[in-house]
Amino acid sequence: MTPNNLFPNKQRDIGFSALGALGLFALLVGGGLAYQAIVGTGSAERLITTMLIDAIIVVGIQIYVGNTGVLSFGHVGFGAIAGYAFALFAITPEEKLKRIPDAPWGLVDVSLNPWLALLLATVICLVVAVIVGVGLARSGAESGAVAATVITLALLFVTHEVARNWPDVTGGDRAGLSFAIGGSLDGRIAIYIALLAALLVARWYAQSRSGRLAVAAREDNLAARAMGVNPLVQQMAALLISVAVVSVGAGLKVYEEGSILPDNFFFNYTLLTLVMLIVGGRNGVTGAVVGVIVMTAGRELTRRLGQDGYELFGIGLDDAPLDWIFRENLQTVFLGLSMLGFMIWRPSGLLDDWELDEWLHRRLNLPKTADEQPDSLTELEDVPQANLRVSDVDVRFGGFQALSGAGLEANSGEIVGLIGPNGAGKTTLVNVITGLVEPSAGSFEVNGHDATALAPFELARGGLVRTFQNLRLFGALTVRENVEVAAMIAQQHRTDRVLRDTDALIAEAGLWPLRDRRARELDYGNSRRLELARAAALSPAFLLLDEPTSGMSDEESLAMVEQVRHMAATVGAGVLVIDHDLAFITGISDRIYVLDQGRIIADGSPTDVQANPAVQAAYLGSTADA
Amino acid sequence: MIELAQNLIDGLGRGSIYALLALGVAVIFGVMHLLNFAHGEMITVSGYAAFWALNAGWSWTLIVPLILVVSVVTSLLIERLAFSRVRGASDFTLLLTSFGVHFLVSAVLLLYVSASVKNYPRPGWVADTWAVGSLRVEVFDTVVIVVTIITLLATTALLQRTMFGLALRAAAADFDTARLMGVRSNSVIRGAFALSGLLAGIAGVFWLMRAGSTNPTAGIDPMLKGVLAALIGGLGSLRGAVLGGFALGLAEVLLRSWLPNGLASLTEGVVFALIALLFIFRPGGLISVGHAERV
Amino acid sequence: MFFGSFGSENNKSFKTTRALRSLAERTCSARLDFAQLFRSSLSHASHMLQLDKVTTKYGAISALRDVSLTVQPGEVVGLIGPNGAGKTTLLNSVAGLLQPSGGTVTLNGDDVTGSEPENLLRQGLALVPEHRRIFIDLTVEENLKIGGATVSGHDRNRLLADMRQQFPVLQSKWTTRAGYLSGGEAQQLAIARALMAKPKLLMMDEPSLGLAPILVDMVFELIGSLKDNGVTLLVVEQNATRMLAASDRAYVMRSGQIVSEGSGEELLERTDLFESFVGGGTS
Repeated sequence: MTPNNLFPNKQRDIGFSALGALGLFALLVGGGLAYQAIVGTGSAERLITTMLIDAIIVVGIQIYVGNTGVLSFGHVGFGAIAGYAFALFAITPEEKLKRIPDAPWGLVDVSLNPWLALLLATVICLVVAVIVGVGLARSGAESGAVAATVITLALLFVTHEVARNWPDVTGGDRAGLSFAIGGSLDGRIAIYIALLAALLVARWYAQSRSGRLAVAAREDNLAARAMGVNPLVQQMAALLISVAVVSVGAGLKVYEEGSILPDNFFFNYTLLTLVMLIVGGRNGVTGAVVGVIVMTAGRELTRRLGQDGYELFGIGLDDAPLDWIFRENLQTVFLGLSMLGFMIWRPSGLLDDWELDEWLHRRLNLPKTADEQPDSLTELEDVPQANLRVSDVDVRFGGFQALSGAGLEANSGEIVGLIGPNGAGKTTLVNVITGLVEPSAGSFEVNGHDATALAPFELARGGLVRTFQNLRLFGALTVRENVEVAAMIAQQHRTDRVLRDTDALIAEAGLWPLRDRRARELDYGNSRRLELARAAALSPAFLLLDEPTSGMSDEESLAMVEQVRHMAATVGAGVLVIDHDLAFITGISDRIYVLDQGRIIADGSPTDVQANPAVQAAYLGSTADA
Repeated sequence: MIELAQNLIDGLGRGSIYALLALGVAVIFGVMHLLNFAHGEMITVSGYAAFWALNAGWSWTLIVPLILVVSVVTSLLIERLAFSRVRGASDFTLLLTSFGVHFLVSAVLLLYVSASVKNYPRPGWVADTWAVGSLRVEVFDTVVIVVTIITLLATTALLQRTMFGLALRAAAADFDTARLMGVRSNSVIRGAFALSGLLAGIAGVFWLMRAGSTNPTAGIDPMLKGVLAALIGGLGSLRGAVLGGFALGLAEVLLRSWLPNGLASLTEGVVFALIALLFIFRPGGLISVGHAERV
Repeated sequence: MFFGSFGSENNKSFKTTRALRSLAERTCSARLDFAQLFRSSLSHASHMLQLDKVTTKYGAISALRDVSLTVQPGEVVGLIGPNGAGKTTLLNSVAGLLQPSGGTVTLNGDDVTGSEPENLLRQGLALVPEHRRIFIDLTVEENLKIGGATVSGHDRNRLLADMRQQFPVLQSKWTTRAGYLSGGEAQQLAIARALMAKPKLLMMDEPSLGLAPILVDMVFELIGSLKDNGVTLLVVEQNATRMLAASDRAYVMRSGQIVSEGSGEELLERTDLFESFVGGGTS
């Protein structure tokens, strides 16, 4: 099996995502033009222009917030930077002489073609984004992280403060910069191009390797790292692409509004864009677009209601009973209520992560390249040699010694069991081997190389792949997508191994009929099997299974034994399996280590261990005088 | 030397108000894991109450308790109408909910109360100073510092000596276990909002006395100060929040006097940038809150 | 400085030396005498606790399937079974930390299915949770006070005085932050904290977990002496042999279900226990 054959379904994704982007573009532009034609006023035209620009910016924000799950208040701050940069490059020297005659660095004399100005503004914004991105990464950004949100809030606040207090460059708090520019952006054309590009980029990114890995990390950061994903790299990619789109949108916004003031890119605009994003559903591009349309319509309606009250509907009541509600600026109340209402009753938005192109693909029921159940996999004859050696590991949590001098050894082609009562330190040992817990003493080696100091994602790429006692799947992703995350990493980092087709692994795990189900919809047994298939897709040197049968019935456990053995053999992995279930362990293992109170108290063949009185004591509890 | 001493006193005065605000933010974060962007709304609403009362001829002696009551009631109402419905939701939802509350309150005030800035007379003694050697100390700063110290001591006593304080601390550490001990989640959360509202009210009295005006978005500033100070101190740590408040007050005053002339107006931006740096290098704030990964 | 402690401030220095610790622990007298407090609270209903076909799910996963059991007043009932069998889920479902999706839980004749933990405690049911979950930033005294949150101030003071007497280990660390306690001390604190609520039924989840053998002895002595004081007990314990010896009756759980039931002595003599406990069906 060659690595480029790993994803039979990849081709259609790219083609369809373009189709989806086109569809969303048609929805926004077509709907907008129709509204303009029906209403036929200048203000309708301005409303649609504003909506299209908002759509670019909201789709830009979606690329970061949606794919990483990190709430950003800072994107409007990026917009401010891009907006000012664009204005400073594009406004004519005469206008600048009037507003900001003291601007440093010869800015007054700069006068660029607006297209070029937009490009330069985007580049400048990207430079800032790299710095902010490094900061976010350092703070350990992950889905919902408060520290990351605070950093983005700081960016918004700092740009606003600088804009207000640097009148030499920004025109200050009141006057701002207004537009008289040398060239033209040809009316709507620039907006159309930018909007289409934004939609294409957003859908393309979501389908790209980086996008999928970012979403995996959003769903479960720890599991993603354990599958070899470095979420920080993917988050940086998402941030840069997202900021580029927002920059272009912000430049166009400034251009269309004809001026820029600090408050144009502050809390109010942040609220508006975030409401648009969450109302539609932040996890999808379609959701973002629908949110923009719904909120634009709702805002316009409430604005007019506030202005005209009942007269809007042709009812001219004197003393209308609810007149006190219809006040100027009603739309601001509407925005606040929408934000609250959706957060309370529907935090995932109207559409959640529903995508137009995916729906189209399902509806059209196109000939699928891989809709036949793949043949079952044969076990590898030539197992690549590998060795794992753990020596004298100590782990202390506070005053509690979780492991003292624990050590073990495992080789490829072998299934090693690790048993012990609850609290013996089994999971801690696996956490050490997968980089989640740093031992206070001792080390472990893979194929003779010290691996003690490596990060979880590096260990996974190096072939130590685990499953989790309490199940960690990427819940919003389908069965197929879960396995593909691992396969994507394998394709890049495990090229010296035999890599198996993802669909074949899914079929092998008995999940073929469920391949397009979301992982969070699976029942317990299937979830466990999916975790196993996902781990196997990395073609690990060692599979570390933490209680793979916990919570399973006896029959399921029995089937699991065979599945673990077979799955490991098809990818040539050695297995280290943790369980408390002695029967399960003896049924599957070639050798067994017994852990009690942080120490290895016995090791040997299953029969030896079972007969060992110390093991029985550890299990059933010592008698009072033991 | 005189200037430094002068700055320190100014900074302590400011910092006192920030500390009270931050303490309220930290109390809420402790029990609900909610970073409350609506923490300034208590002050906005009480500002309007104060304006109304002054116009109706009340004296400041009566307005002070009025502000405290309005602040506590607003805090409880916000909890009842919004935050009680998102208990236990994701951090993402909690953050946006409080952001939404902040906007909704300002929007409602803007539409249905007044869009313009409302000015009211400040108490006469706010501008008075007294001289200590060659130092000129504002009477106002002195009062603020004294009241703050008393409030902090009282809060400490409340948290250390009363069952409610104990329940609050226990719930902040481990909500489920506190419930196993019979601590009622409703009472402890509402109590936290009442305490937070009261602290915001005390800070609000000073804030409003000094400002002499209010407007629908007047809450943004105190909210940001409170949130920032709580962040500096490490969210959820009360001691940290108080220290963060004083640190923020001092940093503002000192930066303002140290930064070159052209940049002095950027003080707040610089403070915010410093906080971002702090979070980049210490995501848990000054007093780092332990964070272990559970597998 | 302000505020003794709050929230989850990190606690880095647990520096009690081993020698000191064991000295302190040996001074524990596990013979309690709470006769006045607990005897009077004995219930008159025939069942103290009754579970009828209780099912609890995590998402799609059934962690408990149609579990039925009873606890009579004054009994010590053991609940044993392998890791993942659903023992902790059972206790949490009774205590209100988890909501059963089916079946009923009856406490002293009242249907309490799905009640909040804070209300259940007021009806006389306390849980010493898995891993003890003492408040590490609160002092020993404060932990105990929180435990007595539901009793009157007068009773609380009397109970505090009782605990001081009955748990000498705690007395010597009265104003120490609980994070500095050793494992055995922490377990005593967790149990004492639960007793502060004057429970009629005390549930314990793995009280001997992570304790050295001598401290395991202490825990079982404590269980015995609680029983002597008339406290009804439902105890989840991995140390099956010891637990069965200390139980009037016991249930064995596996894969979310109860697979055997009997008096402690009966179950101890069952030769298939080892098998049914540590696994089976696969070999």
